[in-house]
Amino acid sequence: MDLDLTEEEHAFREEARTWLRSNLPTEARPPEGQAMRDFDLAWQRTLYDGGWAGINWPVEFGGRGLSDIQQMIWYEEFARAEPPFTLNNSCTFVANNHGGPTLIVNGTDEQKAEHLPRILRGEVVWCQGFSEPGAGSDLAGLSTKAEIDGDELVVTGQKTWTSYAHVADLQELLVRTDPTAPKHKGITWVICDMRSPGIEIREIRTMSHVTDFCEVFYDEVRIPLANVVGGLNNGWRTAMSTLSFERGTGFMADQVELAATVERLIGEARERTDASGRPLIRDEELARRLATARAEVSALRAMTLAGISRTARTGMPGAEGSMIRLFHGELHQRVYQLALDIIGPEALRLTPVDGEGVWTGPYLQSFAYTIGGGTTDIQRNIVGERVLGLPRA
Amino acid sequence: MYLLPTDEQDEIVATVRSQLEADFDLHALAARDGAPSVVDRDLWRRCAELGWFGLGLEESLGGVGYGLVEEALLFAELGSHATPGPFLATVLGARLAAEAGASDVAAAVVGGESVVALAEPEGDRLRVTDHGDADLLLVVGDDGAALVSSDGLEFRTEPSLDVHVPLATVDAAAARAAAPVAQLADAGALLLRGTVLISAELAGIATATAEQSTQYAKDREQFGVPVGSFQAVKHRCADMAVRAEAATSTVRHAALAVRDGLAEAPFHAHAARAVAGDAAVANAHVNVQNHGGIGFTWEHTAHRYVTRAQVLVRTLGDRTGHLGALLEQPAPQ
Repeated sequence: MDLDLTEEEHAFREEARTWLRSNLPTEARPPEGQAMRDFDLAWQRTLYDGGWAGINWPVEFGGRGLSDIQQMIWYEEFARAEPPFTLNNSCTFVANNHGGPTLIVNGTDEQKAEHLPRILRGEVVWCQGFSEPGAGSDLAGLSTKAEIDGDELVVTGQKTWTSYAHVADLQELLVRTDPTAPKHKGITWVICDMRSPGIEIREIRTMSHVTDFCEVFYDEVRIPLANVVGGLNNGWRTAMSTLSFERGTGFMADQVELAATVERLIGEARERTDASGRPLIRDEELARRLATARAEVSALRAMTLAGISRTARTGMPGAEGSMIRLFHGELHQRVYQLALDIIGPEALRLTPVDGEGVWTGPYLQSFAYTIGGGTTDIQRNIVGERVLGLPRA
Repeated sequence: MYLLPTDEQDEIVATVRSQLEADFDLHALAARDGAPSVVDRDLWRRCAELGWFGLGLEESLGGVGYGLVEEALLFAELGSHATPGPFLATVLGARLAAEAGASDVAAAVVGGESVVALAEPEGDRLRVTDHGDADLLLVVGDDGAALVSSDGLEFRTEPSLDVHVPLATVDAAAARAAAPVAQLADAGALLLRGTVLISAELAGIATATAEQSTQYAKDREQFGVPVGSFQAVKHRCADMAVRAEAATSTVRHAALAVRDGLAEAPFHAHAARAVAGDAAVANAHVNVQNHGGIGFTWEHTAHRYVTRAQVLVRTLGDRTGHLGALLEQPAPQ
């Protein structure tokens, strides 16, 4: 056990800090549409040109081949630089944290060569096609069907909760290729071109006023069999590796940012006063909640470090990632609930979900943190069954 | 940065664990419930021979030469086994004596010859835990810390919430009247170590209760199936595991920060104390619930974790105090 950074890691931190100082965008992220897509891809391209894309991706796929610790250091430096946007609130999230890592582990050489460089260079937006109206927590119960016709799959059905589908080029799509097999055995993970004929996308407005949450309809959409990743009817395994990346390091950026958010909130409580002119930080209840939040984000960082250590030992993120995800999701919500109790009448004023000094938009958005990527109920099942070995119902 | 124990550290933990299972079985120790001294001198000396009391003390000061991290691993095991005995006062007392230059006193404490009890201010008296067999009191206060002889002091014993942590009070002025056998004017560093060790013990309670509940949920059958297959029970076990993981990771991080003398060491120590304290109390409570009727019996060990957690979260400061101290720290850089 040690907290030491190697000389290389120290140098990496300095390098990141210096680079961010002169390359971080100062303008706000456009909230929607093509302008948002352009902004997110331009930032990804800037990262790539600066050597900050795919920090922990293998060198052979265009990454820097560095450690998860260095990836975390990068997130810490990004948060420290007080950026005008949050890192994970980007239409590049799925490509960087799902599609890319899944291809690295499960993709063919051709698939890797075609997609990984484009992801890193910011040339492509990926979205996720997992959930369906009838298959949410019971993901394996999905019914979007794909029939083999020559060297193509013909897909008909519906996906939902597909963030950024309306601006995406590609989709990681789960389809049922064998309706006669047990439900986990007949699923295939395939890359779908979002411009294919037969695809219709409808935007869904969320409680946080964002419209990039979409549903996607497929009417005999033809996808080359060459786009199958991890083998026909082996999609459940492929999907589980996708989700293990998300539950492993995918949310590290959010977790690091949350620590900065709590410090910002403590600053607010020192500056703001109650009706009698007393600083809010002197309020016993608020002080206790702020201190608890500080302790808990510090726990979150320690858990993240322990998780990185475990991954370094075993090579793959384990089911323990669900513990971090669960802890983080609920803590994230508590922090923004606390924020509303501190900002006084500003709590009545709507802000965007992202940007400088915003609180109410992120508060509304925080409800996604215990739902997306598997609800907290599902995360608890995973912890119970796969970490603790409790029997399934 | 690496937050998992090394092979050598794992070995220390395994040795401690097997010793605790052999010598500190809670069912056997039930015979000592309410006794003024739960651990007898022979057993205490055996612990000393294993090097537990000087585990984190530098060799130049008569210790084994490991550090706070290994000491914290020991204390996590003590917590896991709800181990009785004045371990905290002993380990801190040995360090105080050694650092104050009283090497013979340190040697006697490390060797298990001199038993130390913890004494904390409570009004105009000192609240003493494990006074029964104590030769020395480790008196902590705002004005530093001192080891004083227990000779001639009149202990007023009281029924203790935790029957394995004997409780008494003693007149503060009387305890402070005689010259201390060793003292430190500034006990900040010592108490920071104490904070880490108590946090480790609390994390151990959180871990052990999570494991106890999980095992029971696998073994106990109702409606023809293990109760752990029910989501209500499974989710409680999952939450316990998350709290135990949060506590354990935070404590390890804090132990490293304090060991390395980092500027943000107090931040992490107070944070660890808050997280581990909350985890221990919550898990100890839920553990009783998960066991149903048997969990409410004296025979079962679940209640021992409840009362130990409640004692520890009130030892060397309480939750409010540590949270207040945490909020006063500058943000870690």
